[in-house]
Amino acid sequence: MDIGELILSTVRMATPILLVALAELYSERAGLVNIGLDGIMSFGALAGFMVCFITGSPFLGILAGAMGGILINMIYAYCTISLCAEQIVYGMAINIFAPAVASFIYRIYFGVSSTLAQDTLMKSIAIPYLKDIPFLGKLLFDQTPMVYFAYLMVVFTAIFFNKTKKGLNYKAVGEYPKAAETLGINVIRQKYVACMICGALAGIGGAYLTTCYVNTYSDGVVAGRGFIALSAVIFGRWSSGGVLLACLLFGFCDALQLRLQIMNTSTPYQLFQMIPYVCTLVALAAFGIKKAGPKANGKPYMREER
Amino acid sequence: MKLKKTLMSVLVPLASVILAFVIGAIIIAALGGSPVQAVAYLFQGAFGTPNNFASTLVKATPLIFTGLCACFAYRCGVFNLGGEGQFIMGSIATCWVATTWGIEGPGAMVLCLLCGIIAGGIWGAIPGILKITRGLNEMIVSIMLNYVATLFMGLLYTSVLRDGNVPQTAAVPDATQLQRIVPSLRVTWGIVIALAVAAVVQYFLFSTSKGFQLRAVGLNMTASRFNGFSVKKYILFSFVVSGAIAGLGGSVELLGTQYRLISGYAVGYGFDGVAMALIAQLNPVATVIVAYFFAVLRTGANTMQAGTGVPTSVIDIIQALVIVLAVAGFALVKLPQIRQWLAGRGGKKTAEKKEEK
Repeated sequence: MDIGELILSTVRMATPILLVALAELYSERAGLVNIGLDGIMSFGALAGFMVCFITGSPFLGILAGAMGGILINMIYAYCTISLCAEQIVYGMAINIFAPAVASFIYRIYFGVSSTLAQDTLMKSIAIPYLKDIPFLGKLLFDQTPMVYFAYLMVVFTAIFFNKTKKGLNYKAVGEYPKAAETLGINVIRQKYVACMICGALAGIGGAYLTTCYVNTYSDGVVAGRGFIALSAVIFGRWSSGGVLLACLLFGFCDALQLRLQIMNTSTPYQLFQMIPYVCTLVALAAFGIKKAGPKANGKPYMREER
Repeated sequence: MKLKKTLMSVLVPLASVILAFVIGAIIIAALGGSPVQAVAYLFQGAFGTPNNFASTLVKATPLIFTGLCACFAYRCGVFNLGGEGQFIMGSIATCWVATTWGIEGPGAMVLCLLCGIIAGGIWGAIPGILKITRGLNEMIVSIMLNYVATLFMGLLYTSVLRDGNVPQTAAVPDATQLQRIVPSLRVTWGIVIALAVAAVVQYFLFSTSKGFQLRAVGLNMTASRFNGFSVKKYILFSFVVSGAIAGLGGSVELLGTQYRLISGYAVGYGFDGVAMALIAQLNPVATVIVAYFFAVLRTGANTMQAGTGVPTSVIDIIQALVIVLAVAGFALVKLPQIRQWLAGRGGKKTAEKKEEK
């Protein structure tokens, strides 16, 4: 087995999960548990695919994925923040709603029996100088721009939440919204902003799948990655560094299972496909601690209530 | 007050359904179809002939099981999103017993059903055990187990239990299959089993002390713990029973409708179940009604597509809209402002229905 190939593929597979896990991190830091990530991703995947197919530009596709993600997540935002609907229930509703809409639009636009539509994949861009580092350079600095974006987001998120006033205010909303409100933080607005960031990142994560990873769209393209991202946030203890490590682990499982499939064609491939899911379970069972997240996570915030 | 609450829990889903249909009609019109004609075909497809009516009942059967599965667990305050996995594991156990043990007949059928229940229960127990021992999020665990179960089923019908060239298992022997109620119609005793399970769940939850305690745990875990209820035991119990219901559903589906495991088996049943339980406000009887409604939409959709050319996926949108609107509606009527407003004007409930959307 070629180790370099495996690492390359790990980085590639970890990226969509990482983007979506960061989306969830932004959401949960504002006290909103969003389990509708799978749904947002599938809509982002469709939006990204359609725009990329029509315009031929993967970048516009990614942008469309972000917009689509925000659009879907605004439904969630309105219902959970303004109507105080239960977040888990509404996340589930999004999980049912968004894929149905995505699959409907795809069928209307491309027809049911037409040949498989394909879009252009994003090309990788090598970073000058850095790519010449022996071994690592080829692996880490010769990727698609989305991979760089994801890793920059990790750094940015870490700095934002720990070193900036805005970031601390943001966190306060997720920890103790009432206190945050007394300090003059607009809790409701902050939550809406969180939902926008979450929707955009999750949509980009979905669009990554159809513009950087495979060049077709099919129902179920997301394959539970939203939930794997959700567990990455828990596993990574709600810090961006931890989330990165968790995502790399899950990405590695995904890469490994693909490699194993190619190497052992005699073994049924389903056995290998189980690896990422089983690995998520084992990782959670071994390291998942329940009481580490933001304190007001999942609780609706009613301004008038005492 | 209680009357008004019941009324609201009927009006909100009803309003959501109507609104979803209106949006669906707009989509159909935008696609160049005739909404009236589409709805006519839809209902003709679902009820038009005795055969169509029977098909609707056949479609409703698995949905009732997964709906009750989601309903039961959430009554205890835990979210079982693994209905699909438990359903599949039940089907797998049934298929294995029915096709490889070399037994046939009604006795074998009962054994198959039992194995389905056990397999579903075991698969449901896993998230429960991980929740109470390790504090894991039961939603993530049950979702992951869905994928494992689906892949495991794929493994079986492509290699281990494969029968012939096509990737599928052997069919359940005729004598082991669930028999039809009326020989000329497709509907089997499976629907009776489904209704019986719904009745038992309804009785257990609302008429026994254990059921009361289980619901108490679901409403307030902390209070239940201080009252001396064994919260962990109830959580595990609710997961096992919920899994067993789904497993039985898988068993019934295999013995009564599908007869063999094949690609695409049971896709989406789990989430549909959750959707139905939520629209039904976790009421078992209402879950049955919602499941029937979903089945009507599905059987009717094919006739509608054949008759008017409107694609069946419009129906998926309508279904998805019902859940999105219903959950938003329930949240809306619970808001303090709306509550006050509702309390303020006693009798005018029909007016509120329009207002809330």
